Amino acid sequence: MSEILAQSALRALAAEWLAAGKRVAGPVRVKPDLVLYRPLRSADELLLDGFQRPANSIKEFLFPKAETLYSYRIVGSSIELVESQANLPDQILLAARPCDAAALPILDHVFNWDFLDAFYNRRRAATTVITLACAAHDESCFCTSVGLHPASERGADALLLDLGDGSFEVRCFTDKTRALFNGKTQKSPRSAKASAGPEKRFDPQQMRAFVTAHFEDPFWQEHSLACLGCGSCAFTCPTCHCFDIVDAGPTAGRARVRAWDSCQFPLFTAHASGHNPRPVQPARQRQRILHKFAIYPEKFGEILCTGCGNCARNCPVGLGVLSLLSETPHG
Amino acid sequence: MSESPRPPHASPQPAPSPPPAFEPKILAYVCNWCTYLGADLAGTTRLEYPPNVRIVRLPCTGRIDFNLIVKAFEIGADAVLVSGCHPGDCHYSAGNYHARRRWILFRELLDALGFDLRRIHFTWISAAEARKWQQVVQEITEQTRKLGPYADLYAAANFKPLPAPAGNGQGFKTFAAEGELREHCRKLLAEGAVKVVIGYGAGGPVMVTKPEEADRLVWNNRCYPNLTTYLKRKEVNALGKPAVVVKPCDEKSLVVLENEAQIARQDIHVIGMACEGVGQPKCVHCATRTPRFADVALGQPAGPEPPASPSPNRFAALLAMSPAERMAFWAAEFDRCVKCYACRQVCPLCYCERCIVDRNRPIEIDPAPSVKGNFAWQIARAFHLAGRCIGCGECSRACPAGIDLALLNISLHVAAQKYFGFEAGMDPKAEPVIGSYALQDKEDFIR
Repeated sequence: MSEILAQSALRALAAEWLAAGKRVAGPVRVKPDLVLYRPLRSADELLLDGFQRPANSIKEFLFPKAETLYSYRIVGSSIELVESQANLPDQILLAARPCDAAALPILDHVFNWDFLDAFYNRRRAATTVITLACAAHDESCFCTSVGLHPASERGADALLLDLGDGSFEVRCFTDKTRALFNGKTQKSPRSAKASAGPEKRFDPQQMRAFVTAHFEDPFWQEHSLACLGCGSCAFTCPTCHCFDIVDAGPTAGRARVRAWDSCQFPLFTAHASGHNPRPVQPARQRQRILHKFAIYPEKFGEILCTGCGNCARNCPVGLGVLSLLSETPHG
Repeated sequence: MSESPRPPHASPQPAPSPPPAFEPKILAYVCNWCTYLGADLAGTTRLEYPPNVRIVRLPCTGRIDFNLIVKAFEIGADAVLVSGCHPGDCHYSAGNYHARRRWILFRELLDALGFDLRRIHFTWISAAEARKWQQVVQEITEQTRKLGPYADLYAAANFKPLPAPAGNGQGFKTFAAEGELREHCRKLLAEGAVKVVIGYGAGGPVMVTKPEEADRLVWNNRCYPNLTTYLKRKEVNALGKPAVVVKPCDEKSLVVLENEAQIARQDIHVIGMACEGVGQPKCVHCATRTPRFADVALGQPAGPEPPASPSPNRFAALLAMSPAERMAFWAAEFDRCVKCYACRQVCPLCYCERCIVDRNRPIEIDPAPSVKGNFAWQIARAFHLAGRCIGCGECSRACPAGIDLALLNISLHVAAQKYFGFEAGMDPKAEPVIGSYALQDKEDFIR
């Protein structure tokens, strides 16, 4: 027996959570051709079908693009530090894609490795992730190549599967979601069938071997010449997590802020001396792939990619992890 | 803070005092040689004027960074005054003429962004005009007092969306000149006339270096990017003399780049493609289907297929909003900006070795993607392209947050046409709008 919830009942639940003061975020059509994960202003905004996946990722709800670590006040002739607000509302990330949710256990490693990141962890603790299995995939999707699939449970507190008749099968994996859906679902003998997902395009083990063995290789130059060096791949990637800490002066609120950064920017590795160990774009592209498929796996035992394809969809010049890796001799 | 001691003459039980009257803060950027001396003279001649004005003395109005005007509002000014020497009186001969031209354009950008122009004042006040200084400060203070605090700055309430631009709407279509293009490039590479062809491939831009790879080149209605942006990239330049494939709209950036001494035109082989339209918002209004500056023009000029739906004129729709609505529109749009700098990186004319936003001594623009930081960045980006942007629309296309950044550039493009009859990328001999001036430049807002 499976648990079933009608689409209208899901919306009603979302409205209930919003009314209870929770922050509920999910896919929202921001413009005719743009869907983004946004905090819902009303449950009607929630978009459940008719798109491949949002152009951003859910990481921004745990690791915001700009997070105030602390601010300061000038009191008389001295400076007083002000802790950033610790009160965060419970948040529910609703109808997230499985490739987004799968990024969270990956991010957990890096924010709890040698230093326990209180800012990330407190958001993580206040977050419930309810994913919606993908019914379709596009040419940029490659979750199956990185060990996931359209109904992957990883990182999710619950998974919804579309039954195709205006209702969802609900599979709860944690107490958080069992409590949320308690008494809201109906028993049914019907069970959803997950889509098979995209064909496998590469083997991450082979990729790891390739990128490790070809650090100095014309491959990088040949296949990333078109890269313009913007951060749209990294900033819309569910797993990219590099940040910079900047001091926002009086115009911007007198605060120390953690802001997203990207290895695709020349400034990312620029030394004070003027030397830059990654002086050209191919070196920065190589770094991005190397980090995802060799460096991170070496340190944490898993790859830093969930195959969502956002890098390719958002790239103004049609690059991305998949296009680069499919060009490797093993691709 | 403790309460101030009650003055002895106060009644023991005072009536509830009215809320303190609003006292505006006015920031005045004045030049050292005229207005500062005028204000000084007002002081020494004991002319009274409201104490609401805070003076920042600068060498010359010509050197006032436009960011300072925005910054004044960000740190809490309710109005800004910029004042310098009368035309003809500049200590440095022409600083104020340059300033005038910049203000004419910058004011239009601020208007498109929804800034309240009633809070931005420009005057010429000479060293002898103490009385004019007094009057100006009195009037601005009175006017700003009536306007109240600048609460609308970056406020996202009153958000109204703009009509969406027409989408591609067309099925995939290969243009007839594709074969001709491949043949031409094969020959160029085989003869060694160029070392690399920067062209369109099936998945995006490609750099073709071998004649046998010329078949990777495509020419169809998905050829969106403006490839001239690669001429600024070190890795591409290192390959040797390039040929670049351009659409008639894109090639205008070459004119600007040459004009600004960024490229040596004779060192680049330009392959202009007669264009049938690639279904971008810009194509609807495009008037240049035939390349004009290319070394070789391929294909037959043809009218574009009509778009699936007529594109609403987004800029007119933006201007039709009230300033508060415009500001709300941008505040909501910039809220999504993540500062990935795709807008900068795709732009063929953003070629600074180190962008102003990457400079950190001092930090001029908040590097975090905060509300203020995003406004400051987008204002700087747009204004650095004033009179330079050729309207390729790549900034809007590249933005992963779907912000229609080209609208800001359009505001400056329209202003340059209106005030100076100037259109970027049309005339290789034209003097750039910013960086030149004319004695007869006309405006109607400087007192």
